[in-house]
Amino acid sequence: MTASATHAALPEAPKLDGRALIVMLLLPITAVNLIGFILPVVNLAMISFMEVRSTGAMTGNWSFAKWQLVVTDPFYWELLWNSVRTSLTITLLTLLVSYPVALYLHRSSGMWRSILLVMVISPLLLSAVVRTYGWIAILSDRGLINNGLMALGFDGPLRLMFNLTGVVIGLTEILMPYMILALLAGFGKLDSRVEEAAATLGASPFRVFWRVVLPLSLPGIALGSLLTFVLAVSSFITPKLLGGGRVFLLATEVYDQAIVTLDWPLAATLSIIVLVVFGVALTIYSRVLKSLG
Amino acid sequence: MIHHASTATNIAAPLGNEAKPGHGFLSLQGLSKRYSEFVAVDAVDLDVNQGEFVSLLGPSGCGKTTTLRMIAGLVQASGGRIVVAGRDLTAIPPFRRDMGLVFQSYALFPHMSVAGNIAFGLEMRGLSRSEISNRVTEAIALVRLEGRENRRPSELSGGQQQRVALARALVIRPSILLLDEPLSNLDAKLRDEMRTEIRDIQRRLGTTAIFVTHDQDEALTMSDRVVVMNHGRIEQTGTPEDLYERPRTPFVASFVGRTNRFSGTALGRSVKLGDTLVHSATEANGPADVMIRPHRITISTGSAAASGGQNTLSGIVRRMTYAGNLLQYDVLAGDLTFQVEEATLGSGRALAPGTTVTLSWSAQDTLVFEAKP
Repeated sequence: MTASATHAALPEAPKLDGRALIVMLLLPITAVNLIGFILPVVNLAMISFMEVRSTGAMTGNWSFAKWQLVVTDPFYWELLWNSVRTSLTITLLTLLVSYPVALYLHRSSGMWRSILLVMVISPLLLSAVVRTYGWIAILSDRGLINNGLMALGFDGPLRLMFNLTGVVIGLTEILMPYMILALLAGFGKLDSRVEEAAATLGASPFRVFWRVVLPLSLPGIALGSLLTFVLAVSSFITPKLLGGGRVFLLATEVYDQAIVTLDWPLAATLSIIVLVVFGVALTIYSRVLKSLG
Repeated sequence: MIHHASTATNIAAPLGNEAKPGHGFLSLQGLSKRYSEFVAVDAVDLDVNQGEFVSLLGPSGCGKTTTLRMIAGLVQASGGRIVVAGRDLTAIPPFRRDMGLVFQSYALFPHMSVAGNIAFGLEMRGLSRSEISNRVTEAIALVRLEGRENRRPSELSGGQQQRVALARALVIRPSILLLDEPLSNLDAKLRDEMRTEIRDIQRRLGTTAIFVTHDQDEALTMSDRVVVMNHGRIEQTGTPEDLYERPRTPFVASFVGRTNRFSGTALGRSVKLGDTLVHSATEANGPADVMIRPHRITISTGSAAASGGQNTLSGIVRRMTYAGNLLQYDVLAGDLTFQVEEATLGSGRALAPGTTVTLSWSAQDTLVFEAKP
């Protein structure tokens, strides 16, 4: 059969052209995103421009008051800086403790790998609230660590809770599974043969790591760091419980303004700022990814 | 400042220390690898001379790759010694062994350019920048990749990637070049080209090379000597001709080249195969395996008496396969089926199934192996 004959036979068959099919397939996710994400964000942005009474009731008039407050009051700048710095610290620590675990997991195989993977994932089955209370039992003045230290003759309890230290310790552990899974997903280019090639060419184990393993795992590091950073910025239960009201971060402030003070426009304004932070993080991530090729 | 190297043959292998007399430049002595329940390599002894190209040939799982990886230091030997130029390397880690390894999967550094890949081993040796640049340029010329210095491995074809891997392994002027099935990921035509190229470069540089392959054609055409391995042991070591003409075991006879294989009873210089008696050139007695190469058998339509070989049998063509350069026949002679190969000398000469033919071959082409009790 010639090509033209094939062509002539086809148009009669009921057939969607490619573009219509793509539109149809994208419709459900577009709808979900529109209803579940875009509209609430627009709504949030609108609330941030509303006038509010001290009782929490909104008057229905537009107002720039909250944005003006947030931009001019140094408290909120400090809050932003605190949040970003704390989240970056947590991200870095999570990366440092997760990287060896992920690398070991990447290299293990069979039953042992499955067992390890389950051990990594299983904390995700518990809510962060429960795990935070677990940390309280460990870190409090009469907790596991302090009891142990004092039994060894250490003088007085070490303040591990109700301060930034506690928040960083708790969140690092809580975010580890995400980091490990993201690192694993990004370790695709790591190949034991390539490491062996470097070794036969004269590279000591340290130089194999520095020149081959680390550069090849950068995509995983970038992905894991982005994910962990975003989760750290937006977490509020753990900072609230382990911070004991003494650690001020953007997410906890949003919670306080929305639930305690009932200042919804301020909560909305701060939420939008959190979104901006995410946008910046995402931009940096895509730049890094592009430079890695 | 850039110095242009005036000597083009700079990349030649280093003058090795004189090997001890009676030992090879590379000497494997009782080399073994045991896993908990499995012996991968079983007391292998091998001596390789400087500048020699030696192949390790065998089916998968025969221990050839494990042997190579032990030489490279990537697998720890469970027994025996690896000696290079009189120096015991058995306990030395791979990065101090000074060997160039070319992997089947190329194993190039994906995050480095072609030049970066080749320079890596030189950087590890702490050479000066100008020295590295000179030697990288030479190595790139050696494998004919000029103009692709700044490409990433992913932008190269399989053959080009293999060339980069070869240059990367050679540029450090290794004491021994180790090649682990380097051609099996290439297509047939490229494979032939690379065979010649690897062998030419190795000859020119005088590098000692160990080449692992499961492909008997590669082993025979490239090597000075071939080591046939099976079940972790060396079956036979010899020149390609030794292995093909004078195989010492039935395994070597059947693995190297195609063969007709029969069981029979040896009676001195002849063997009884069922009702058929065939002549051989070697003395043997008792139950025996008999092998005859398909292309050593002459097939003709003349009568038995007219044939010149010392063995003549008459038979009937059962099947004919036209393979371009070869005609392959299955011929039933008595109760034995022989595979016979004949070069195609022109068209229209193939014998149709059903034709009565005479098979003949000389007595020394009957390979007889006494069956082990």
